[in-house]
Amino acid sequence: MLSRRIFRTRPWSSAGWRGLVHDRTAAKSSPPVTGTARQSWLFSARDFKSMPSCSVHKFYEAKNPYGIQGCSFSSQPMVEVRVDGIVEIPLAQTGEGIAECELLKWFVQPGDKIDEFQPLCEVQSDKATIEITSRYKGEVSEILHVPGDIVKVGETLLKLFVSELSVPAEVGDTMEPDNDTCTSDIQETAKGGVLSTPAVRNIAKMYNINLQDVSGTGKDGRVLKEDVLKYAASKGLIGDIPSPITGDPVKQKSEREDIHQDDYEDKTYPLRGFHRAMVKTMTAAAKIPHFYFVEEINCDALVDLKAFFQKHSDPDVKHTSLPILIKSLSMALKKYPLLNSRFSEESNEVTLRGSHNIGIAMATPSGLVVPNIKKVQSLSILEITKELSRLRDLAMANKLSQDDISGGTITLSNIGSIGGKFGSPLINAPEVAIIAIGQLQKLPRYDDKGNVYPAAVTTVNIAADHRVLDGATVAYFCKEWKSFIEKPELYMLHMR
Amino acid sequence: MAALPLMKLIRLKGVPILQQLHLEERLLRTSPHNWCIINDGTNLPHIVMGISGKPAELLEINSVLRDKVPVIRRFSGGGTVIVDTGTIFVTFICNKDDVSEVQPYPRPIMSWSSLLYSRVFQGVGDFVLRENDYAFGNRKFGGNAQSITKNRWIHHTSFLWDYEINNMAYLKLPKRAPEYRLARNHLDFICCMKEYMPRTNFITRTVDALQGEFSVETTDLEAVESPSNTKFIHSSKILTERELEEAALG
Repeated sequence: MLSRRIFRTRPWSSAGWRGLVHDRTAAKSSPPVTGTARQSWLFSARDFKSMPSCSVHKFYEAKNPYGIQGCSFSSQPMVEVRVDGIVEIPLAQTGEGIAECELLKWFVQPGDKIDEFQPLCEVQSDKATIEITSRYKGEVSEILHVPGDIVKVGETLLKLFVSELSVPAEVGDTMEPDNDTCTSDIQETAKGGVLSTPAVRNIAKMYNINLQDVSGTGKDGRVLKEDVLKYAASKGLIGDIPSPITGDPVKQKSEREDIHQDDYEDKTYPLRGFHRAMVKTMTAAAKIPHFYFVEEINCDALVDLKAFFQKHSDPDVKHTSLPILIKSLSMALKKYPLLNSRFSEESNEVTLRGSHNIGIAMATPSGLVVPNIKKVQSLSILEITKELSRLRDLAMANKLSQDDISGGTITLSNIGSIGGKFGSPLINAPEVAIIAIGQLQKLPRYDDKGNVYPAAVTTVNIAADHRVLDGATVAYFCKEWKSFIEKPELYMLHMR
Repeated sequence: MAALPLMKLIRLKGVPILQQLHLEERLLRTSPHNWCIINDGTNLPHIVMGISGKPAELLEINSVLRDKVPVIRRFSGGGTVIVDTGTIFVTFICNKDDVSEVQPYPRPIMSWSSLLYSRVFQGVGDFVLRENDYAFGNRKFGGNAQSITKNRWIHHTSFLWDYEINNMAYLKLPKRAPEYRLARNHLDFICCMKEYMPRTNFITRTVDALQGEFSVETTDLEAVESPSNTKFIHSSKILTERELEEAALG
């Protein structure tokens, strides 16, 4: 259900750097530049769904004044597969023999408009950090990796929405004819005198139309989709050219067919980014012997307190129940510090953590992330509220820093904000406890006089590492925490 | 004949390595000029890791904490070194367009630098670029790191003029070692530059080699440090004791 800190940088494995380092001297630094080797490199590049782009594209043999034969890359465009304007940007080759890089940070986020040559991210390969720039002007559609990920050369880094589908006509003019077999598609198209994209060629094929018969209205006589559809309509192959508003009946029909077809087809996709990190952390969590302690908490006082804060403090600050729960959790941890500890299996030691760095699980468009609020014991509820808001904004923008997501000591999951009575969370190792808070419900309960009244009630489920914590400790801790929530006046008793 | 591109030279002595790294990153990211920075030794022993260095893997943390050796994570890639007064730092920061014959990627930059240093060490020892290290024969005396941005790159080197054997004990054997190291221990793998060349000779010859490719103009540190520089956010940082302790706990 919940992941551990997913930005924890991955341990290097020496295997990851196989092929990175070559024994080369200044006199003989060259990679193999025989025809065979060059072609094999190009064929492997062709296997990628989209060609290397960003700041490295075309591969050509270069002899520089230093007398060193070397591989180098110009920024000439290459064939790329685009579907509905979405371009997949892979990690391009950043140096000979480099098979993978570590993603260090992003400079963009989904929704950002970007310009050509704008830096997208920074990666590290062996001895160098390298900025990867965009070849396109467009909009970031999806980011597929998080900082710390090891990304293989050719693996998609992110997806861009590029509004104009085009194949640069100048490619055929500037490329060496014997240099790049990957661009044979472009050259064939150019040779036929018809410039068009693969998507347009597919549409023409669908209607059994010879592109040479179609008059192109795009740049340099390029045949566009509209040109093909207009031609098809003129030949009676389809009805009127559909307006953008009403939609293309043929397209709608084919879309319906596609939808029906899609309903029954299996779809496989690789897990990336946060989701891939979650696989790793949950697998680690599965090794921990969990036990669960469930308790019901009356939140009437909590609801009243929240309303009081909202009424009597800065109106620009939105108060929720969570900061109060976080602060009361910290106060309970003072009495039961074992729940704020770390267990080392190797050394069989428990470390009581000095700071209460309380992690808050957040669901974001990019996946689950757990930033933590540092040193809660020294923060006021108002300060916690503001820090929570800051972290939430960063999380939604996928801009949390390494510091934000590391160093947590215990995790709180307010899964009830989405729904559900309670959950059985998995511990965020190497922490030893995690708490899931269920939905706040109005339920009938008895008061001290035996009368039934509507009470705001939530159920909490504390998962604990049974190697460190026993049932009694967790029960006492929960009782302490519950008392602070149900009787917030106790804060004043313990306040310093 | 085309004019040589301008390169500004800053010569430092004993400047703290963190200050040097801050200067370098700021110049890389905000200056339009080419720069060479030579720092002849740094004042106190420091451990300097690459941008994604993990203390638990690279350092003997307990010893580092016990002896309070500062640990820096720098903004560039590469490995871990322990630097002190016996280290000479040479850094090149270049606009890719000013050295257009050098492709702005790790390997070509490394090769370009090795050719420059081959002129520095001509007739002195058996200088060679081995993978990413400068070596005499098969013994390393200089380690490199780079950072490549959109239009500029930095290539910086720490040269082992001399070293304290005891300091080497703070560093673990890295998981990933260059192939030419084979199974050698640290002392059999490295060598000191002092056995090959006087210290001032090295610096003079480096500047001379630079002048073969650039129009070198010497600048003072004071001229490039100004109050407005404090607004630049540096990536190179000293790790706190807590961070090291947490790393030790794994």
